[in-house]
Amino acid sequence: MFLEDVKVIENIQIADNYYLMKVEGEKMPLHSKPGQFFMLQCKDASRVLRRPISLHNVDGNILEFYYESLGKGTEEFTRLSTGETMNIQGPLGNGYDTDLSGKNIVVIGGGMGMAPIKYLIKDLKDNNDITFIAGGRNANAVKIIEKFDFENIKLKVATDDGSIGVKGNTVDVLKEILENEDKKIDIIYTCGPHPMMEAVAKVAQENNIRCQVSLEERMACGIKACVGCSILTKKGMKKVCYDGPVFESTDIVDVDVVDPNGGCNHE
Amino acid sequence: MNNRLNIKFLGIELNNPLMTASGCFGYGLEYKDYFNPNELGAAVLKGITMEPRNGNAGTRIAETPSGMLNSVGLENPGIEEFKKIIPSIKKELNIPLVANINGKILEEYIEIAKEVEQIDEIEMVELNISCPNVKDGGMAFGANPEMARLVTREVRKVLSKPIIVKLSPNVTNIVEIAKIVEEEGADGVALINTLLGMAIDIRRKKPILGNIMGGLSGPAVKPVALRMIYQVSQAISIPVLGMGGIASTEDAIEFMMVGASAISLGTGLFSNPILPLEIKKGLEKYCLENNIDNISEIVGAAHPDGGKAYRNRLGGK
Repeated sequence: MFLEDVKVIENIQIADNYYLMKVEGEKMPLHSKPGQFFMLQCKDASRVLRRPISLHNVDGNILEFYYESLGKGTEEFTRLSTGETMNIQGPLGNGYDTDLSGKNIVVIGGGMGMAPIKYLIKDLKDNNDITFIAGGRNANAVKIIEKFDFENIKLKVATDDGSIGVKGNTVDVLKEILENEDKKIDIIYTCGPHPMMEAVAKVAQENNIRCQVSLEERMACGIKACVGCSILTKKGMKKVCYDGPVFESTDIVDVDVVDPNGGCNHE
Repeated sequence: MNNRLNIKFLGIELNNPLMTASGCFGYGLEYKDYFNPNELGAAVLKGITMEPRNGNAGTRIAETPSGMLNSVGLENPGIEEFKKIIPSIKKELNIPLVANINGKILEEYIEIAKEVEQIDEIEMVELNISCPNVKDGGMAFGANPEMARLVTREVRKVLSKPIIVKLSPNVTNIVEIAKIVEEEGADGVALINTLLGMAIDIRRKKPILGNIMGGLSGPAVKPVALRMIYQVSQAISIPVLGMGGIASTEDAIEFMMVGASAISLGTGLFSNPILPLEIKKGLEKYCLENNIDNISEIVGAAHPDGGKAYRNRLGGK
């Protein structure tokens, strides 16, 4: 919950519109947890909103952001050069529950959903067994994982076009693990396109496995002051910026397999 | 030093003319990690209704050039929950708290006004007759002069606390509506609420907002706000709470010069959470450099007569 002018120390294109930016900060890296996010200020004052960007990794006093250039704001970020400063706000929100040990964990990242995964795995892997399923449209969409540390974890890659890993999607890989491996999965963490997370959550629920999903919404303030990112959950209206972005899948109405029609019945 | 910014607004002493725009500042404590909210003149809290409301479905936020659209739709926990949380908020805030009240029908406005009258921690009430994001009520009251008259009259009967009526810019003649609510006993007017607007996602060939339309705020609406405050303040004898895209000290001064006695910060907080501190410092510096004993001296300075007539009519209100 700080505002800090951080210094860009690296900002590179990973593939297509996918970029990785490293910034140097003081207070923020000490307080940041996997699954949290930051609000990055645009230099162009005509862009009145900060951009919520997931925390990719923390390394000493360095924060990493893996982001996609999608609109004018994120396009502006791609043009930041080494040495430039940027004002960022954070860390914000509730991240993944990583206070676990001795667990059998499956982590599933899809496309841009790879953003919070690097730090998540780093935080969990010393005390738990981890299988990481990385998925995406093609090899470029999962290229970022070349920079992950896979020591002591099992990696499975699936792409829609089969350009790397198996041809197929992450949910099929998850089902295969459930069928072929005897060891019970204790928890599944996922981040990716909504339909993918929904399918993962459904499989988790059918198999009585706890599952945490990371949601995305358009935000204005990032600190529950504007109520722009509210969603209807089984525990009432929740703010993605504050109560999330990570939620227990069973709390989210639209991934509920018991009541498939229980979607967002807002007023 | 500080007394250059002290003002009296609707009979209440404020440390400075900086307030918050309802719906941009939560319930007063959300920004406390970034600045001490007691640095403000007063805090206008998020709009409330009798019953809890979930607000509008789907995407509620869309950025537009120098502005943003929102279609939150008055999501709020309802008056009962509001009453429960107010004492703990007041414990941390020693500045006046302003409740923003809303209704779908006249009876609901009266009912919620009666409730707020009983809440000791609330010193002023912003009567919102201009929310563009609710299907019934809201803007329907603000856009129709006779409805605006009726709701102000009835709410006045049950509320002894100062009332600021928040006006909609989505009308043909805002001056007429401002004069009507003044006639019916409003102590002040707040303007402008957001301008009804739209944005399209060309890939999906659909409006970005789930509610299709939403309220435009931010620097994009500033010229409209200035024009309306300029017109309204010359036609009335009660103070104006000015708002609409204030993002700097210079903006704040412009708003006061067209006739605002106090100003609200809203969208500007999102990109710059410490904006109130910057403007406060900026206004102090401006007063010092221009030999202004009190900031209220510039209210209406851009009127043809330099604001003399309006300031006389206000007479310290």
